[in-house]
Amino acid sequence: MRLTQILLSRVGEWSKQYANLPDRYIKRAMEQVYWRNPKGIQYRPSTVIQRKKFRFTMNRPWSHQFYEQNAPGRLRKKVFVEPIKKWSFFRGDRVEVLVGKDKGKQGIVKYIVQERNWVIVEGLNCHLRRMKRGDESLDLYIQSEAPLLVTDQVALVDPSDLKATPIEWRYTESGESVRVSVRTGRIIPIPATAEETIDYKSKSTYKEQPKDTGANEVAEITFEPALKTFEMDIMESMGIKEDRIPKKTYWY
Amino acid sequence: MANFTKALHLSKSYGKSLFSTLRNGHICNSRMISTTLYLRDFMAFFDDKKNWGATEVKSGRSWQKDDLRIKSNPDLHKLWYVLLKERNMLLTMEQECKEQMKLFPSPERLDKVEESMENLEEVVRERNRAYHELERGEIGEQPKETIIGPFGLPEEYKMTEHSIPKEINAEWYKQQQIKCDPRDVAEFGRKYREKEFIEKRRQHKRDFNHVIGLLNRFPKMDMEALKEQYPDVDIEKAKASRKYKPPPVFDD
Repeated sequence: MRLTQILLSRVGEWSKQYANLPDRYIKRAMEQVYWRNPKGIQYRPSTVIQRKKFRFTMNRPWSHQFYEQNAPGRLRKKVFVEPIKKWSFFRGDRVEVLVGKDKGKQGIVKYIVQERNWVIVEGLNCHLRRMKRGDESLDLYIQSEAPLLVTDQVALVDPSDLKATPIEWRYTESGESVRVSVRTGRIIPIPATAEETIDYKSKSTYKEQPKDTGANEVAEITFEPALKTFEMDIMESMGIKEDRIPKKTYWY
Repeated sequence: MANFTKALHLSKSYGKSLFSTLRNGHICNSRMISTTLYLRDFMAFFDDKKNWGATEVKSGRSWQKDDLRIKSNPDLHKLWYVLLKERNMLLTMEQECKEQMKLFPSPERLDKVEESMENLEEVVRERNRAYHELERGEIGEQPKETIIGPFGLPEEYKMTEHSIPKEINAEWYKQQQIKCDPRDVAEFGRKYREKEFIEKRRQHKRDFNHVIGLLNRFPKMDMEALKEQYPDVDIEKAKASRKYKPPPVFDD
């Protein structure tokens, strides 16, 4: 897989942040392998033929809906996504909508699709989705938010005067990277909800599950350096004695 | 759930409580392991009965290398078996759910356990490598070297341990005699390199055209971000291309 293809098909960090899933699982759930070279003498030993182009949508890459939209053999037109230097919209940010029927209104970011430069603003830029249920009189209409581009359709709100402003990433004196309003020079703090995941609101309020090790036990230092290999140490602690001298062997 | 009930019956006949001992999962308490009873119950292969048919089973994160580096060798040894048991349990549950046409809840648990096991193995190898480098001046692992394979391409060769030197090992020599006609190898190498070159050139062309597409669509794009994402593409050259037709920009 080439670098640009990797870049294009990589799941954005802020898209997967809320789900709190290991990368390994996301990769496993996403990949569609059509062919793997068998073991043996091959001129390209670990060749894999797999899907490289994915259409990222509102569905998360590990979901079933995503798989259906990117089902094997289904190719869709390429989407051009504007490159961005650093992502600066987080869950819980107050933003102003710059386009559409809700132009000028402010709302809270609640969903991020970083691969498409999209954010969903709660309750704004809505449309009605029709759910067909056979008869037309039984049809159900659901209001759902449409995504907005972070590049030119939304702007962050300056907390000092509650007006939309372009931002810049700068460093504070303590070396911390912060978002600064270009208009007033005020810092726009990253909201606490940005680090929220499905499992916890913040790391300190995480509720331990029955199979978890306690934080104190994880932090406990039991390692004592000694001039032994792992096996020697285990044998010693189990009282296994081994004083036979192995025969000379040859590595080739 | 025929198999489950059968299994449950089996466990009752043993008359032992099981899940109290199976409390440690991918993150486990090292002190608790030492108190684990010696059980040979078949139900250890199955999850807690509460989780049967659950839509989701919550779990913490996997063990990171930094967590494991501060643990003693006996602790790691015990943790390995806890993880192994958990992995067996999860694989059994996955298979059982597949057989019964049910959804396996939270499949990411398997990735968390496997990731922890990989990290643990790496930490143990790190310690052994340090001992061998200090005592014997070598890493003490299976030696590898890069050789030219039968197709004339470089490949990794893992050395193996033998009781006799290779000069008198006729069988090993016979195995090494897989060779192609040197004229064929030369021809293959030429074509292989040509294919690689064409693929590289195509990729470069594709990136170049993609950059033009981006420039045409997003005239206000951040050029530094573009350069960062496509370092090989000459943007000035892209702008000189006849395909570059940016829309007029109206400043308001």
